[in-house]
Amino acid sequence: MGYSTLLFLHVTSAFTMVTAAGLFLAIALAQRSARHSATALRLAPVAGILWPVGGLLVIVFGVWLALHDSQYSLGDGWIIAAIVLWVIGSAIGGRLGAGYRKMASSGAAPDPAALALNLALVVTVLVILIDMIYKPGAS
Amino acid sequence: MTLIIRPDSWNLPLLLHVGGAMALVASVTVAAVALIQGWRTSDASSAALKRFGARTLLYAAIPSYFVMRIAAQWILSKEHLENSNAAWIGDGFLAADFGALLLLIATIVANVAVRRDPDAGLGKLAKVGASLSVVLIALYVFAVWAMTTKPA
Repeated sequence: MGYSTLLFLHVTSAFTMVTAAGLFLAIALAQRSARHSATALRLAPVAGILWPVGGLLVIVFGVWLALHDSQYSLGDGWIIAAIVLWVIGSAIGGRLGAGYRKMASSGAAPDPAALALNLALVVTVLVILIDMIYKPGAS
Repeated sequence: MTLIIRPDSWNLPLLLHVGGAMALVASVTVAAVALIQGWRTSDASSAALKRFGARTLLYAAIPSYFVMRIAAQWILSKEHLENSNAAWIGDGFLAADFGALLLLIATIVANVAVRRDPDAGLGKLAKVGASLSVVLIALYVFAVWAMTTKPA
């Protein structure tokens, strides 16, 4: 697979991941109002599919890109930082997705930390994007 | 393949362009999912999903579009590509400007549907909004393909 195709797949996966984060955030904001909380959980199944799919593919194509191009190395600081941030983001998104699925299926109580976790996820995704654009330390 | 590292002065407009595009795709998708879920159900939550989808288009998708589009023009001028005939730039303009028209129509019809009948299910207008949101998502995938592969 060529560089352009790998980049397209990597970026599309990143968009998928960000879309899932957007769905998580929409559910969290709607949870603040009793009127909308049950309705917003209708978004949970789609978010629960997009998050793991986007998350897995973004790291697969990202590592593939780093291995494919001689100018990049998996040992570069900005790539290591991105992988660490991806692990943190995956853990947060995984917990949010599981929590919303549980709420939608069995009516479990909302996670009191959900809004804080969503904000942490937004910040993590934003820092990954800044890292990907600025590539600190890349020559 | 040897990559050319872009000048540092291009990073901020590119960050805003890509970040705005991500927020745009995420908000249009949130609206599409809400409207389609409202379409599929006949219970009372249909009206709430319609309202949620319409408001998401108005308050999240439209502002995100402006961030993406203004930053696109900024990065274009930084790269001195304003008068370029490159196909990928034309594709980008097509997706952004034709997409703006579709986004505007989707936002108007969905919000008019909410205003006309706030407690009813989707209705014809909101279904048009839902359909246009799905078309927009396909258009944005095409734009990402054009921006990343830069076809000649």
